[in-house]
Amino acid sequence: MSRSYDRALTVFSPDGHLFQVDYALEAVRKGTCAVGVRGKDVVVLGVEKKSVLQLQDPRTIRKTAMIDDHVCLAFAGLTADARILIDKARIECQSHRLTVEDPVTVDYITRHIAGIQQRYTQSGGVRPFGISTLIIGFDANETRPRLYQTEPSGMYSAWKANAIGRSSKTVREFLEKNHKDDMTKDETIKLAIKSLLEVVQTGAKNIEIALMEGHGQVRNLELAEIEKFVEEITKEKEAEAERRRNRLAATAGAQASMS
Amino acid sequence: MECSFGITGKGYTIIASDSNAARSIVKMKTDEDKQKVLSDHLVMTYSGESGDTLQFSEYIERNLRLYGIRNHVELRPRAAASWIRAQIADSLRTRNAYQVNLLLGGFDLPTSEPALYWVDYLGTLATVPFAAHGYGAFFALSTLDRYHRPDMSLEEGLDLLRRCINELKTRFIVDLGTFKVRVVDREGVREVKL
Amino acid sequence: MNSILSRFSSTNALPANFDNEGGRQDFQDSINGAPAQFDLPGTEPARFLSQYTDVDSSNPAARIKLQHGTTTLAFRYKGGIIVCVDSRATAGSYIASGTVKKVIEINPYLLGTMAGGAADCQYWECRLHELRNKERISVAAASKYLSNIVYSYKGMGLSMGTMICGWDKTGPALFYVDSDGTRLKGDVFSVGSGSTFAYGVLDQGYHWDLTDAEAQELGRRSIYAATHRDAYSGNTINLYHVKEEGWEFIANYDAMNLHYDGPGDNVPGAPGGGYGWDVRTQGLSSKLEATEGQQTSGQGGRFADEQPLTASVQPPQA
Repeated sequence: MSRSYDRALTVFSPDGHLFQVDYALEAVRKGTCAVGVRGKDVVVLGVEKKSVLQLQDPRTIRKTAMIDDHVCLAFAGLTADARILIDKARIECQSHRLTVEDPVTVDYITRHIAGIQQRYTQSGGVRPFGISTLIIGFDANETRPRLYQTEPSGMYSAWKANAIGRSSKTVREFLEKNHKDDMTKDETIKLAIKSLLEVVQTGAKNIEIALMEGHGQVRNLELAEIEKFVEEITKEKEAEAERRRNRLAATAGAQASMS
Repeated sequence: MECSFGITGKGYTIIASDSNAARSIVKMKTDEDKQKVLSDHLVMTYSGESGDTLQFSEYIERNLRLYGIRNHVELRPRAAASWIRAQIADSLRTRNAYQVNLLLGGFDLPTSEPALYWVDYLGTLATVPFAAHGYGAFFALSTLDRYHRPDMSLEEGLDLLRRCINELKTRFIVDLGTFKVRVVDREGVREVKL
Repeated sequence: MNSILSRFSSTNALPANFDNEGGRQDFQDSINGAPAQFDLPGTEPARFLSQYTDVDSSNPAARIKLQHGTTTLAFRYKGGIIVCVDSRATAGSYIASGTVKKVIEINPYLLGTMAGGAADCQYWECRLHELRNKERISVAAASKYLSNIVYSYKGMGLSMGTMICGWDKTGPALFYVDSDGTRLKGDVFSVGSGSTFAYGVLDQGYHWDLTDAEAQELGRRSIYAATHRDAYSGNTINLYHVKEEGWEFIANYDAMNLHYDGPGDNVPGAPGGGYGWDVRTQGLSSKLEATEGQQTSGQGGRFADEQPLTASVQPPQA
């Protein structure tokens, strides 16, 4: 009897939880990490790519998806679930253009995606989407970049910078410490990569960056570009470590001379 | 009174359509774009029953865009033409069929060949070197038969189009005004002033 | 089921003995005491609608009177959009009403003109959109909603031509939507039986850089022209101006007064005096008096033995 709350999705547990939704969040926490960072007039998505197996075609593994010309999405969690959600979002984008002529606003498509996710927490015979998403984009005729997050529960919120997936807490804390308002393009990309490097050990080849610079201007960074940033970051880190070592040595020296 | 032309030449397709929107005897608009750019290398002109034309062309436009976003690759002209034809053929077997005539002009990158398809509201699909829809066909097809060559340069192709429009100006009782002209080649779609 | 279907199809292609499912249903209905069949109002939309409408002025019992005689116009210029309409409603050869509102105030930023019915539902669509999207609906979207609605009624006898005018994020916007499903974006539109006459004045006086006063005068004069020449248009004229801060109702004019007296004293843009040709040209004459030395001939016309006039000499044959 007590097991039935986590079997039946639409039944609350006595302390007000929907266990299936909590489990979906667990699937998100196990998923690869994704970050989104908003700069002054750019917005960046960064994701941790799993290593591609030797015989695998890397083009068939994508963790960022274009939803429309001006909206991009990254997710953490079950890739298979994401595929379905992304497809629904893409259809809605074109359908929106068809009925009201304007492209969707980022807010609108976020609300739509979160709406779908919510529906799957309140219907019979279904299970929630095991994914959280980060949605970036620009509204038509506007220069302000947007960044939103959705969760399996159907909740959505707007952010300056955020992370989802494995170790997202560490990354978010890093972002909280290092995010500044009105960052330039390079600063924004660098912050995204730097925050990912907190949890990605293998460096540039396991990082995917989608850069959006305006309405309809999206591209994925080339490996060489990412490597350049990574190199810069490692140099800075080494310099920092060097400084710290010197300082440590100095203090150690001072202590030694004192004793 | 609508009229559209398509001409293929060496490495390009020209697509042209008149730019009038009329209701009964009144011209409501003289700068209407009756073409849709469906992808980087595909343009469609549409004519026929007002209302149907708009609804159908926008439906096609959005679906081909969706295909592009979903698959990270656009449909090739031949495939797009077949799919569009199928949409017309399916609709023909319903109570309110789309009465739309189309010309599809494209450039097929893999074969480096221009492509032109003539599609009518009954779901006929024909691959053609040049094409016309509307009353213009009665006047210009013979002109096209006489002067067209598959290896025409772009300038020669545009000259041939000018000839066709000139023929309409001299023999057709209605002045169709200026034509909207687009060229598709390896570089993509661009608008051309005649 | 098949019995209903067969009523939908124009040709009764189904053989009678194929109808066994429908037969069973009829049988069951009669057991339950329900009528074997009753007329669904949707079986033949066009005929159903014609019972209640008056498209060709031959059905005096019609409940829904369509305004096929009308003139409406709207045009975009640098200062916004001018919307001007007449107010006559005709039923056959009778003037049913002379005070019809043919401009629908959808919301403070959107106007629709009416030739035919069906634009009213627009209001609710727009309000819903506002509530859902925290933003006023764009003119493009509003007109598209309407065109999609009327397109879904295509072929059912609906007759409508409307202009949706408003000011949104993109500035002033004007769309023409009709019951064929046509939807056009443009700068100058006129709809209705008197539209050709309105165009005749409007097109000739229109340019983008009109002042507000000039633009209002142009709208007024164009509709006046249509009321004068088109029997189905007339009575009074309503004038609206769509600006950035929303639309404004300018005034209501009596077409007859415009003819004889003009829009009134001190109306900016108006030259003063009546618009009517006879009023405007009162006292002017085409008579050209002979100057000294010119022939005036006799009472019966030109004398037969005079030299022929140069103007009437035939040009030599080529």
